[in-house]
Amino acid sequence: MATKKHFLLPTVISTFIDKHVEAWLSKRLPKSDEHQLNSANIIIYPTRFGLSYVAFVILVFVLGTNYQNNIILLLSYLLASLFMSVMLHSFYNLSQLRCYSQAKQQGYADDVLYFVINITTKKTHYDINAQFSDGTLNSTVEKIAQCHQGSHLIKIPYKSSTRGKHYLGRVSVFSEYSLGIFKSKAMLDFGHYAIIYPKPKYVNYQQYSLSAPLNEASYEHCQTVATLGTDDFFELKPFVKGESRARTAWKQMAKGQGHYSKHYQANQPTLTWLSLDSMPGNNVETKLAYLSFLITELTANNQSFGLVLGTETGDETLTITPNVGVLHQQDCLTALALYR
Amino acid sequence: MIFFNAKAKHKVKESTQTKRVIAFSLHRKNAWLLWLCQCLNIAVIALELSTWLLAIISVLLAWQAFLLHNNKKQASIKAVHQNHQLRKHLDNQLQNQQNKPFTTHVSSILLTVFAVLGCIVIAIKANQVGILASMVHLLCFSYVLKAFELKNRRDFYQLFLLGLFVLASALIFRQNLTSSLITLALLIINLAVLLQLFTPVRSFFTHIKVIIMLLAQSVLLAVVLFLVFPRLSPFWQVPLTQSAETGLSDRVKPGDIANLSRSSALAFRADFGQQAVPPYSQLYWRAMVLENFDGKQWTRNKLTAKNKRVLAVNSIDTSVTALSYQITVEPSFQRYLFTLAPAISDQENKTVISHDDYTVSSEKTITQAKSYQLTSYLSAPLTFALSKENRLANLYYPQGSNPKLEQLALQLQHNYPNVQARAQAVLARINTQSFSYTLQPPLLINNSLDQFFFETQAGFCVHYASAFTFIMRASGIPARLVTGYLGGEYNGTNNILGSTGQWSSQGHLSIYQYDAHAWSEIWVAGKGWLRIDPTSAVDPQRINSGWSRQLLQEQSLLNQELFSLYQLKNIAWLNTLRLQFDALDYQWTRWVIGFTRKQQTDVFKRWFGHRASWKTALILTLSLLVSVAIILFSIDFFNRPKRATVPLKKWQLWYQKALTLLANYGLEKPAAMTVTDFTQQVQAHYPRLAIAFSRLSASYNRLCYQSLSTSEQAELLLVMQQQYHDFVHLVKSDNHKAS
Repeated sequence: MATKKHFLLPTVISTFIDKHVEAWLSKRLPKSDEHQLNSANIIIYPTRFGLSYVAFVILVFVLGTNYQNNIILLLSYLLASLFMSVMLHSFYNLSQLRCYSQAKQQGYADDVLYFVINITTKKTHYDINAQFSDGTLNSTVEKIAQCHQGSHLIKIPYKSSTRGKHYLGRVSVFSEYSLGIFKSKAMLDFGHYAIIYPKPKYVNYQQYSLSAPLNEASYEHCQTVATLGTDDFFELKPFVKGESRARTAWKQMAKGQGHYSKHYQANQPTLTWLSLDSMPGNNVETKLAYLSFLITELTANNQSFGLVLGTETGDETLTITPNVGVLHQQDCLTALALYR
Repeated sequence: MIFFNAKAKHKVKESTQTKRVIAFSLHRKNAWLLWLCQCLNIAVIALELSTWLLAIISVLLAWQAFLLHNNKKQASIKAVHQNHQLRKHLDNQLQNQQNKPFTTHVSSILLTVFAVLGCIVIAIKANQVGILASMVHLLCFSYVLKAFELKNRRDFYQLFLLGLFVLASALIFRQNLTSSLITLALLIINLAVLLQLFTPVRSFFTHIKVIIMLLAQSVLLAVVLFLVFPRLSPFWQVPLTQSAETGLSDRVKPGDIANLSRSSALAFRADFGQQAVPPYSQLYWRAMVLENFDGKQWTRNKLTAKNKRVLAVNSIDTSVTALSYQITVEPSFQRYLFTLAPAISDQENKTVISHDDYTVSSEKTITQAKSYQLTSYLSAPLTFALSKENRLANLYYPQGSNPKLEQLALQLQHNYPNVQARAQAVLARINTQSFSYTLQPPLLINNSLDQFFFETQAGFCVHYASAFTFIMRASGIPARLVTGYLGGEYNGTNNILGSTGQWSSQGHLSIYQYDAHAWSEIWVAGKGWLRIDPTSAVDPQRINSGWSRQLLQEQSLLNQELFSLYQLKNIAWLNTLRLQFDALDYQWTRWVIGFTRKQQTDVFKRWFGHRASWKTALILTLSLLVSVAIILFSIDFFNRPKRATVPLKKWQLWYQKALTLLANYGLEKPAAMTVTDFTQQVQAHYPRLAIAFSRLSASYNRLCYQSLSTSEQAELLLVMQQQYHDFVHLVKSDNHKAS
């Protein structure tokens, strides 16, 4: 029993510490779109090189003492006080930085998303780096060697292969400026999260996009003007000089109703419902991938569509009414990403 | 099993990939700077390294330079070859080329073999060069080799710290002002190279500037630490330097001191404080007494040299004026010290030992500048007593070694029964015959004094002193040779204060190696040891004021140094500069190099009273706070955006005032908005003011942006003034109406 406790204790303590550090951090550095770096949120600590620098200074001190050599002692004192000066410079290099970033980014799985941090400075800063603090994200360190007065963008890439909503945690903005002895770091919480859409998978979309019956007029038109493909008949207008004769509504003209020309409007909304159930395959992820592809294609072609996502049991059904446009696409893809 | 292997391989691949991400890259310029920095660091300590190691190091550095150069070439060739390919691809290639550490071509096996070989050679040579020197050899060797494996940032850091350590260890050997300043300069360069890693964009000179600023901000705390941080005694025994001995040697042949006088290096300095400096001819700085003569060379008598003298103050006549002074010797890697005999050393100072023959020596070999306090009684006689053994020793000469001189001595003994008259006769002979005083005496066969005295008749001080001492001994007078320095160069002001007749002197006496001298002492019953300088008979100027012009010229011919003293002394401003630097160097030696624990305690007592650790802590904390305040202030000062210092023109003032008036209405002009746009805005919001304001704005625009002749400008100014007044009037009346 005692041994068990002995083994348990460290994990208990570590989780306890983790919890409290996180709580402390979130209390001290709350979530916000914008952060101003100052003494409240900058942590400064010596790097490994900084520690070896201290050891080196002590070594020089011992050398000077052993040889009773004042100049070497003076050198060690100078290096020691340099340590302190560098600490202050390191801190001031990072402070007064203003960081702004949007919380949400969205994109397909396996695509690289960029979380853009807008940095505004009042003075010149050096060696500004940014990275997601979460080590499991394996995010690369993005660097600006020299920030002049003004605003700068740092783009932190993020890539995921699983769909869903991913919280990315804090961003650490850090700098080892001056001599690499100190690392000043700010763990900023922008509330970053990524909506990862399922990765599109090709499916022959003709068979889904044109599922609604064609009306007579457009049918006719399909025969006459094959090149305009999906364009639909819209209205008749009085003929204007210079218009193509090919558009003349001969039917009306023959009836003696006057010279009209036919007008078409491209992509006149065709009612299309995309549904999870109608997708081929028996894996939900595959079906979602097909849907993702279709939504993207249809939006690219400016076609209207709606989305029906239902669980197999049919308890909860999510329906998005037919619409067009990028926002609609985002809504639909987000629904796919969050589908359970 | 296979599965496991595959997994392992995969892992290896992954790890190399992650490593590549953090791979260390050095900019081309930075790599060269690092190389230069290494060369300079090695140069500082080069004097302490053996020739063979220097050869190896220079080969390694040249190899590195070659690799660096080659890398650049390859990069440019690649760039030409791939010009037709995609730009991005090309960039990648180039970057890869540049990102490669510049020494990838050297395989690690070769490096290891090289390192091991080098270590073996150093270990073999360790006996020859001494422990400290071989450690320094090892340090420098590893410093140069390390540069071949800069694989990541850690290697760079290690190289940097090694470089600093090379600088620090160079300070073991030399601490004077010049080498300290050189070390400081190199420290700045080293730090600048490190800084460049973090701000590669800026120029190297900006880095130097930043580093100087950083160091300047650190100086205060460093100085306070130096003053109050307790001095500790050595933690453990360290190997001492085994540098070549400089200065006088304890065995002297006739030609020896002439060689020494080619050097214009500093031997020691004497500070007489407020007292008057004795006349030049009194400044016989005694270093060693040489009593044994074997027919060729003079050596010390081991017995008298060993005997410690317990010289009490009361043994010296109190009526004789005392002269106390401080001597600061440069490291000579020997033990003898200098004194104006007879002298008593500071009783507290146990590191200075007085001897029977009125010389003093140091307890340990002098490896760094050392100060000691002495009190001399210049006109007091040396000891009256002469023991039997001493008498015998000071009368001994190898019979028949210089037969002619012996014959002369017997003749003199017969002619001049009085001891002092006999000595005077020899001096007179030297003076009247055609003897000459020269730095380039003709070579003597077998160091024969006969040959010198009767044939060549040209020599330096040792020739005359040896011959004189020999004659004295041969004629039955106990005599000995004394070596040391004569005179010195006074650096400072030396005035007599009119009314009181007191001396006020501020400065010190610098004694250089070329001041080395040798003279004789004869023992006269009832008078003790008397100093007789035969040089005075041949070159009186040497005794009274120093080197003659002819000697200086001779020295400048013999001297291999870049600026001989003769040339320096001839150019007035250079000489002043030299003297000023010498004074600075003296202060440095005195206050920094010679700042002992005792001095630290004294300084502490004078400023803060009784020493206590809480006081030290308080002082350190205070100075830390002050430094922080200074740094904060200076950061603020340097980072403050530069404001336009040009005063506003009249029309700008009017326009600004008009804007403030409008601002009172609640319409503010954003800085980014143009004048014309703002006019439109005014039109939209306050149509009543619009006409007047747009006129004002138009004039303002013209004055600002159009090139006008002075008359036009004056005219327009008048117009604008009127427009401004109109506008102000309009605003006021408008306000009035509103109220």
